[in-house]
Parts: sequence; C-alpha cells; structure tokens
Amino acid sequence: MAEIAKVKFAWRIMDLVVGGVFIYAGVVKAFQPVRFASDIDNYKILPWTISVGLAFYLPWLEILCGLALILRRLYLGGLSILTALVLIFSGVTIAAKVRGLDITCGCFGHASQNWSFSGHLALDLVILAALLALYFKVTSENRLQNAV
Amino acid sequence: MRTRIFTFTLSIFLCAIARAELKWEQTAVELHPTAGDKEAVGHFKYQNTGSQPVRFKSVHTSCGCTVAQSQKEEVPPGEKGEITATFKIGDRTGTQVKNVTVETDDPVNATTVLTLKAVIPQELEINPTFVFWGQGEALKSKSIVVRASKDFPVKQLKVTSSSPDFQTKVEQTGNGQFKIDVQPRETTRAIAAKLVIQPEDSPKVFYATVSVTNAPATQ
Amino acid sequence: MRQALVLAALALLPGIGQAIYFRDKVSWQSPIPASEMVTVAQARAWDGNVIWVDARPDVEFERDHVPDAVPLNEDRWNELLPQFLATWSPEKRVVVYCSSQSCNASREVARRLRGEAQLKDVFVLQGGWEEWLKSRK
Repeated sequence: MAEIAKVKFAWRIMDLVVGGVFIYAGVVKAFQPVRFASDIDNYKILPWTISVGLAFYLPWLEILCGLALILRRLYLGGLSILTALVLIFSGVTIAAKVRGLDITCGCFGHASQNWSFSGHLALDLVILAALLALYFKVTSENRLQNAV
Repeated sequence: MRTRIFTFTLSIFLCAIARAELKWEQTAVELHPTAGDKEAVGHFKYQNTGSQPVRFKSVHTSCGCTVAQSQKEEVPPGEKGEITATFKIGDRTGTQVKNVTVETDDPVNATTVLTLKAVIPQELEINPTFVFWGQGEALKSKSIVVRASKDFPVKQLKVTSSSPDFQTKVEQTGNGQFKIDVQPRETTRAIAAKLVIQPEDSPKVFYATVSVTNAPATQ
Repeated sequence: MRQALVLAALALLPGIGQAIYFRDKVSWQSPIPASEMVTVAQARAWDGNVIWVDARPDVEFERDHVPDAVPLNEDRWNELLPQFLATWSPEKRVVVYCSSQSCNASREVARRLRGEAQLKDVFVLQGGWEEWLKSRK
C-alpha cells in the first residue's frame, strides 16, 4: 500500500510541476501581450491581427489548463489542450528553423530569449513526454474504473 | 478519442514542414557587408522538383531599397535557377531584414517569402546624434557619447564643427569610448551646425547635428 | 472534449478583458504601437504644429509629396537629417509617412528619429501616402 501511495504521490508531483510550468509560462506572456504578439508574428505564419488575438488569449488558456492540472478539475481537457499546444509550438519552431528564420520562441516570454533552438526543443520534448505520460495514466485509470 | 487527437496533432506537425514543388535551397540568406560596401546581394537558388513547369507571376520586395530579379519567367521540370535580391545599403545601420515575395502558379506553394538579412557593421555608435538648446536656455555644455565597436578599435577621435558658433571638446572616457562636449556661443538666436566626427586613421566620417532652436527653452 | 471546450471558453473571458485594457497600447491592424500612429484627420487637426516627413525614395518625393513635407530617407540619411533638423523645434509634432501600411520605411525613420536623435512626438501616418491622397479628394 505504501508503494501505491508513493507512486500516487509521484504522479501528483508531476501534475504540480507540469501545471506550474504552464502557469508560469502563461503569466510571463500575459504581462507582455504586445511583445508576445511580435514573437508570434515573427514566425510569419499568421496575419498580425490573428497574432494579436492569440497573444491575448493563449496565455490565459495556458494558465487555466495549468490550474486544471493542479486542482484536478477539468483535468483531461486541460491535459489535451496543453499537449496540442506543445505539439503545435514544437512544429512551428522546427518549421521556422527549417525556413531559416531567426526568432525567439516567446514561449517563456523574454526570459527565454537567449536560449538556443535545441534548448527550446529539448524542453518542449520533456514537457510533451510528461504530458503524454499523465494522459495515458489517466485514461488507463478511467478504463480500469469503467471495467470495475 | 486518443487516436484522433494524436492523428490531428501529428497532421499539424507534418503540415508545418511540408515542401513545395519549387524547392528552395534556402529561403533566408544572411549577409555581412563590409564597411565600405554600397550594396549587399543575396542569391536564392531553387529547383523545380515537380513534373510541371512553374511560372513566376510576380517577384516583389518589401522596400524600395531592395530590387529582386528572377533569371527566368518559367522553370521547366528539373531545371534550376535563382532569384537575386540586391539591397542598397545607403546610410542604413544595424541589422536590416527585407522580404522578397515570390508568387508562382505552383498549386502547392503559390507564395514564398524569401528573407534577406543584412548585418551592417557599425563602427561608431553616436548617442544622441542631435543636441539642441532652446532660445534663452542656460549656456551649458551638453554631451554626445561615442562608442567604437569591438571590431573597429579607435584610439583617437577628431571632431570638427561646420560653424564657429559651436565649440567642441573631445575626451576619452574608456576603451573605445569618447565624450564630446558641445557648447554654443550664445542661445539668443537660432543657429545650427553639423559636427563631423572622424576616427583617427579612418577615411569614414560620421555626423551629429547641434542647434539652438527657434522655440524658447522648455523645462 | 467537453472539458477542453469549457476551458477554451473560460479562457476567452480574461483574454477579452485584457484586450480591452490594452486597446490603446496595441494596433490590431499593424505592428506599430497604437500610440505611435496617427490618422490623416488627427495630423491635420494639429494644423501648423506638424512637420511632415517623407520617408520614400527621392524619386517618389520629387513626383509628389505632402505640401511642405521634408524628405528624410535611409538612402541619404546623413545628408538629409541636418536639413530636417533645421526645420524642427520642440513644440512641433513630426509625422512620418511612406507608401501605404505595409511599407517599413516610415517606421524605420521614426525609430531612428526617436532613438538616435532622441526626438519626442514622432508619429507614423496610418495608411501612409495613399491615405493622404484619399483625403485630398
């Protein structure tokens, strides 16, 4: 039983860490939406108007999904959204690199502006792995409960 | 549900790195012109990897200072070519980014944005380049700070005023750093002068402007 | 899926609130901050206290320009800046224009006037030369 409690605790810590990372990332960007809009615009994928809309919206989405993980409310929804966001951010960062664009990701606001491309990508992949692990753990728990 | 989310996100990921039939060797070029250059030229090479010819509909630039030309109007399958973008440097400074938008009849990727980035070396950073006094303002000197870049060491600076109405004094304040103190003879009338700033042993000159304006001093 | 939609909808509320709060600090049409842009009507209202700066290439300035505008472009910045500064005084507002919204020249000239020459009250004309022409009709 102690082993089960330890495993549960470890998963809970992962919830708190991953949720905390997204809340931090969201807060940093929410403080400087105009700068974040410029960062999105630098990818040269979306028109400026959409970049501004996303700059005002995405940080709050990240904060709410991070809270969903920590408070375990709307948990699966939060997990799905964060996974999709990380996949999209990783994809457009790789695409930008391939196109030769020299940009700051803007993911962690200007706190991360001096990070290298590989540094950013590595962090994205670690976060993605954690999100996928949490996702599969929750869905297999749900399946077990439904079977019981 | 899981599979659907996975497939959806994977398809977005793959779309982001999809390639067109007109394949570009690189869509972004970084140039490092030297101090005396008047132009920077970028070459964007391409190849038609499709089975149909590709026709260029238009090639236009984001700025009048950049001229872009395509070698060919139509590119047969398998053929290579290039678009040349010539950026006129003029008196521009710092990192300049200019875009060339290429429109073709390629159904997969009709529009491509080519980026020309030119890093223009700046031997001296002059701050500010304009100093002024209002009419009737106290006759006090004001300073201009000059910093030499690490790649262009400067031991001495020569400053000449185009008008005797302004006096200048140059002082070295650090390694490659100078302070120019400027003072007008009077502030009772509107006067102006151009300061010519020349590093020792360099043919290149830089400028600052000083003036006593028409308007009274504001506080 | 429903949970995701609920979160997505909830995030709209603070997002819209923030967009309203920042409405004066950002322009939804262009990357230039709203406080640095002026319309033709606003600039005209300033009347005699405006210096119009034409950031377009020389040949376009010579063809036509805003009456009493001063040319100042990056091709001949060192030569043209002292001429512009001779017309400037602190109580005047500077309005820089070039060809239409997508041209970057007016932004660059405005940036250099604020940064290098440290001038205050430097604005970029929304819609550029084309907007001025429309207002003339």
